[in-house]
Amino acid sequence: MMQLRIYCLLCAIAALMLTSFSIQAVPWDQLPAEQLTKKLETKFSEGKYSKKGADTCLMCHKKNNTVMALFDGVHGQVTHPDSPMTGLQCEACHGPLGKHNKGGKEPMIAFGKDSKLDATSKNSTCLGCHNDPQQMAWYSSSHNLDEVACVDCHQIHTAKDPILDPQNINDTCIGCHPQKKADMNKRSSHPLKWDHMTCIDCHNPHGSMGESALNQITINDTCYSCHAEKRGPFLWEHAPVTENCASCHNPHGSVNESLLSSRAPQLCQQCHMDDGHAGRAAPLDGQDAFGGGKSCLNCHSQIHGSNHPAGSKLQR
Amino acid sequence: MRYKLNLITLALVSVSGSAMAADFSVNKANTSGVNADKFQCKRCPDTTGYRGSVELGAAYSDSDDIHSANALNSEDGTHGVLNADVRYRGKTGYRAKAQATNLGLTNSRAYLEAGKVGSYQAELDYRQLSQYQHDNVKSNLWYADGTLTRSAQVQTQELSLKRKQIGMDLSAGYQWGEQDYQVFARYSQEEKTGYQSASMVTPRPINFGKPVDATTDKLTSGLSISGQNWLTSLNYQYSEYDNQIDSLSLPYLADIYAPAPDNSAYQLSLSGQYLFNRTAISTQLATGRMIQDAAVIQTTGNPIQNWDGQVDTTDGKLAITSVLDNRLRLGGSVSYSKRDNKSSVWEFAQLESDGISGAFKQNVLLDTENLNYKVNVSYRINSDYRLQAGFDREELERSHSAREQTDESTVWTKLDIRSFASSKLKLKASFSQRDGSQYQASGLTSSIENPLLRKFYLADRDRSAFEAKFNHAPADWINVSLIGRYAEDDYSDTALDLTSSKDYSYNLNADMQFDKRLSGYAFAGQQWIESQQNGSQSISASDWSAQVDDEFIKLGAGMNYTGLMQDKLNLGLDYLFANSSSDKQVVYVSTEPQSDYYSYSHSAELYANYKVSEQLGVRLGYQFERYYDTDNAQVDVNAIDGLTTLGKLNHNYNAHQVMLSFSYQLR
Repeated sequence: MMQLRIYCLLCAIAALMLTSFSIQAVPWDQLPAEQLTKKLETKFSEGKYSKKGADTCLMCHKKNNTVMALFDGVHGQVTHPDSPMTGLQCEACHGPLGKHNKGGKEPMIAFGKDSKLDATSKNSTCLGCHNDPQQMAWYSSSHNLDEVACVDCHQIHTAKDPILDPQNINDTCIGCHPQKKADMNKRSSHPLKWDHMTCIDCHNPHGSMGESALNQITINDTCYSCHAEKRGPFLWEHAPVTENCASCHNPHGSVNESLLSSRAPQLCQQCHMDDGHAGRAAPLDGQDAFGGGKSCLNCHSQIHGSNHPAGSKLQR
Repeated sequence: MRYKLNLITLALVSVSGSAMAADFSVNKANTSGVNADKFQCKRCPDTTGYRGSVELGAAYSDSDDIHSANALNSEDGTHGVLNADVRYRGKTGYRAKAQATNLGLTNSRAYLEAGKVGSYQAELDYRQLSQYQHDNVKSNLWYADGTLTRSAQVQTQELSLKRKQIGMDLSAGYQWGEQDYQVFARYSQEEKTGYQSASMVTPRPINFGKPVDATTDKLTSGLSISGQNWLTSLNYQYSEYDNQIDSLSLPYLADIYAPAPDNSAYQLSLSGQYLFNRTAISTQLATGRMIQDAAVIQTTGNPIQNWDGQVDTTDGKLAITSVLDNRLRLGGSVSYSKRDNKSSVWEFAQLESDGISGAFKQNVLLDTENLNYKVNVSYRINSDYRLQAGFDREELERSHSAREQTDESTVWTKLDIRSFASSKLKLKASFSQRDGSQYQASGLTSSIENPLLRKFYLADRDRSAFEAKFNHAPADWINVSLIGRYAEDDYSDTALDLTSSKDYSYNLNADMQFDKRLSGYAFAGQQWIESQQNGSQSISASDWSAQVDDEFIKLGAGMNYTGLMQDKLNLGLDYLFANSSSDKQVVYVSTEPQSDYYSYSHSAELYANYKVSEQLGVRLGYQFERYYDTDNAQVDVNAIDGLTTLGKLNHNYNAHQVMLSFSYQLR
């Protein structure tokens, strides 16, 4: 009987130990996000960094291919003066080691899809080093306000961050912007669906001081950067053209030709109804010069402006 | 067409955010106990030397319409292809990179880079962009040396544009004390050639293939200085457009058409950012000038040789974002933009009288001035709910317009809900109202403009918009997202012109990772845009109306399997269908039947990657493109009295491409 009691007691102790170990093994898995963040903040402020830097981390993580892929990329370079590897090494991004490698297994700052940290906390790590003109407008950008994390688009533990390959940029953007995916597959669009152009040819995903995160300050300046022939100024200008190219065009794509928000003559008739000439009803296409060929542009082909002295009607 | 498993949406649904944000930036780290001298990396692998891959292949395309080269990235026939990504990393910090993407095809790029990390870098890049419209355009006008000569017979032309860009970039950085200095300069040149559709009045309208032969040179340079919590940047950019075609003449009619004139533009900007505690202030001031003083075509009644066209631009912005506590964030910005046309005004003889100035007319200088304010607030209710709201206002002044000021105010709100561990809902609503100064016909055109007309970009407008985004991961292997949008524009004070518009759509997307080897995706989406406008055939009330219904649908699916032949073979498939249509119905006396205006495409791609060895790989791909478009406005060359067209410019083709390539992994 005594042996049985001792056996049961040993079993109970073993069960308790196993249970305790399983909880202690990854205790932060069960921590709510707020408590985990507080714990990491405390750990960060205590600053209990490892004695030997990366070598301490690699004692356990060397067999992990993803971890080791860091050294193939720029963040793992020991020759780069600004690389994390020439500073606090792994702990520059993942925070001080503390007791992470001891029995308690304290949490580290993590960035993967299972991380409970919010985007702002994750991003603070990146922005600590990336304080440069490319990120100047990040804080007021829509991506920051919508809590997009840097690691949602970028990968660090890799030889080559996939988003830096022009062939991958559009796929990444349309993952969150499916309407743009629709637009780029319409009858007319910039050649985005074939990756001949990329979203960042016009936009800066890190925000910009211009509107709509455009690379240039204004919409028109952005268009002129590839369409300099429309910049002018022209002797005879077309008012909505000088004001905003997007008055008539949808740069992401349209069911109409030439990225137009509507077809001619209807588009032109949304502004010109002046003398019975522009105001004519055009019930059927292809019946007369008003509804056939290039419609209004059969005569007024210099719709973006004319430099002909007799071109006030944008005809020549 | 490669719509892969979307890691971003997965990430968005897989985390439950914290109600508090921490600052883990390395410059805030407590390093008092760190002895960096003892930090080691003996276990870090040596990654110096060359690595990367080179891929060499050939593509064979079969198509009877050059328009297919847009999708297949090559014209009919066989073409060699080079892809490469080779990197060199030296032991002392020197590095170099050589990249090539689709070299040999019609859209391609190449990039060379060399330098020492953190010190200096030189880059050289090349890019070619091609756009194909039609290879069966019918015209009897041919361009040579500024003159469009007429041939007896209608002949076939190709409308396509090619851009070839080269660029070089030098940059250097230096750490001086606590400050980081960066300087860069970039020069690029683009040559654009080809033909595009245009039209001229002779006095009857004739469509023709307009030659394009232009060069654009760009120079950008900048200096930035940054400290721990601040940075400032001074940038300069210059662009010069040089059109090799100065004017177009017909043998019997000189200088009838003025192509785009040579022009140049520069902009100088000063930007800065300052961070204190959890507040970020960013600002930018920019001044620029656009100049156009190309020779003006000499005609009777033209008083000038060269016009001194000059537009000065001034832009500025101040933006502040402040995290007041772990739940509340406030933001705001003010921006200003001015376009000041300082060109000279002259009186020019016109070939058409306008009823006011007779046969003479002065050029009009258009100015705009735009002031924009934005404020926003974000409040995190708890880890599952976050509410945002904002107010935007835009005040735009313009000269010589029927309405010289428009003001638009917008209120918006967003609610983010992460109520379940595996799903997320985002709701957004906005309402904006545009009004402004009294709408009146401007002095220049008052006698001929219908007083009931309200130009759509100037008219009073109420805009309401709603959007709902739903992400859900019902199981580990699947992620589903659904986005619905609805927007309505009501031009409340418009009797003639665009009176209303509705735009509504949905997009459904599913990403699947069935197991380690098999992944797939499927998506569907539709959009409808319905607009209504009224017109008048005389200066009176509306006597006709038009309803335009645009519709778009896209469907797609794909899969990738990586587990065949001892994991050496990878197979993939992508398919996409897209259909765009626009139906218009004009009601005038009687309702006419609608004209065809639609296009559709089926795009499919099959590929197989086989790993011959650790270094050598083979890829075999097949791409199919079925494209059709139609437009009733496109008619035969002389089908309409008084109008000469370029013929029916519709497309209807099946195109195929097979590509075989071999890749070699350097390490």
